[in-house]
Amino acid sequence: MKKLNIKTMVAIGMLSSISYVLMLLNFPIPPFPQFLMIDFSDIPALIAALIFGPAAGILVELIKNILDYFMTGSATGVPVGHIANFAAGILFVLPTYYVYSKLKTKKGMTFGLVIGTMVMAVIMSVLNYLVILPAYTFFLNFPAMSAPEMRTMIVTGILPFNIIKGVIISFVFMLIFTRMRTWVEKQAVIKSAA
Amino acid sequence: MMDKMIFGRYVPAESVLHRMDPRSKLVLIFLFVCIVFLANNMLTYGLLTVYTFLMIALSKVPIRFIYTGLKPVLLLVIFTLFLHLFLTKEGEVLFRLGWITIYEEGLRQGIFISLRFFLLILMTSILTLTTTPIEITDGLESLLAPLNKIKFPVHELALMMSISLRFIPTLMQETDKIMKAQTARGVDFSSGPIKERIKAIIPLLIPLFVSSFKRAEELAVAMESRGYRGGEGRTKYRQLSWGLKDTAMLAMLAALTLVLILLRT
Repeated sequence: MKKLNIKTMVAIGMLSSISYVLMLLNFPIPPFPQFLMIDFSDIPALIAALIFGPAAGILVELIKNILDYFMTGSATGVPVGHIANFAAGILFVLPTYYVYSKLKTKKGMTFGLVIGTMVMAVIMSVLNYLVILPAYTFFLNFPAMSAPEMRTMIVTGILPFNIIKGVIISFVFMLIFTRMRTWVEKQAVIKSAA
Repeated sequence: MMDKMIFGRYVPAESVLHRMDPRSKLVLIFLFVCIVFLANNMLTYGLLTVYTFLMIALSKVPIRFIYTGLKPVLLLVIFTLFLHLFLTKEGEVLFRLGWITIYEEGLRQGIFISLRFFLLILMTSILTLTTTPIEITDGLESLLAPLNKIKFPVHELALMMSISLRFIPTLMQETDKIMKAQTARGVDFSSGPIKERIKAIIPLLIPLFVSSFKRAEELAVAMESRGYRGGEGRTKYRQLSWGLKDTAMLAMLAALTLVLILLRT
């Protein structure tokens, strides 16, 4: 990682605090269980990635989760949920960023968000199956779920939840992006000139 | 609300745990989370419980603060207890009432597992209750310093974390101001269908992004003009100092670990 300049570092710090505050305003959506929550904290991370590059997006996701773990605490004492949130965040932000940086149009952004949602939903399902649900079983001792049970839970719960989450975030982000696109591009130019 | 945002869950008090070095507290909690899994019988769980309550007593944090932190999880703990009580069907039958049968193994497992869960939450709460987020950041920076060798920007990460900590309250104020301004223009944040409410977030977020970039610019210029040039050779306002009590606390935990290994079955 090349050395970040001061302006970039400070701006990433600010975006992380916006992200953290947005994370506190999370809400569950009705048919899904309480621990699956939607929040808009991925939006500042996406903006950071667009202006300062992919590493900045990852940093915003990382700082937001560390802050939340130490400030709000974790329900399990062990940050399984935070690691899951971090993984979901970067899996959503990075594909979107790479698709958009190839196409550079409004349509490209929509397409990027769709790809981001798909990548996030699919890989998170796999991760849930292999890592996250077993981790919850291990730390919380939720009775161990058998493989088919876990599969039904992922297919009926986690996969659709992540798709809906991705769609809602994409929808809000598009509304913001259409209004802020020139501003974002201007910031990116200023940054590369500095 | 504002104070809560600055200090997280920190409760000021005059105690050994408050005065401990954040580094030793972080190490202590991390090791505790590992050794909790060593316990597997009555005696070892008993010891861990005694240790945890000793820590709570040492921290001098009023019980009601610990209780408010536990409240949301309590239901989950009780739920796991009952799940094991009713679903584990091993060992002798202890109790039978109509269709409910409780087995010995179920009772044992249920109690142990909820206890483990409970102790984990208590200990991690002790960390956040006795240490300010800014101390935790300093401690993390110092503990992770070896990662600098593999070119991981530890100092930069810690700086960004302290900046975002510093600006959380300012941001909340700003959000409040923008919300009031938008309400004055007729935006309704608190009612209406969910789609409308989500849309109402947008005129809130955009000014927030723009103003935070302006603020970032100002802060960066201020830092540069005061000669900020990264972590090398930086002198600190808050010095961390490792004292006797830190070594003593870690030695106590090491002793506990040893006893647990000897007593576990």
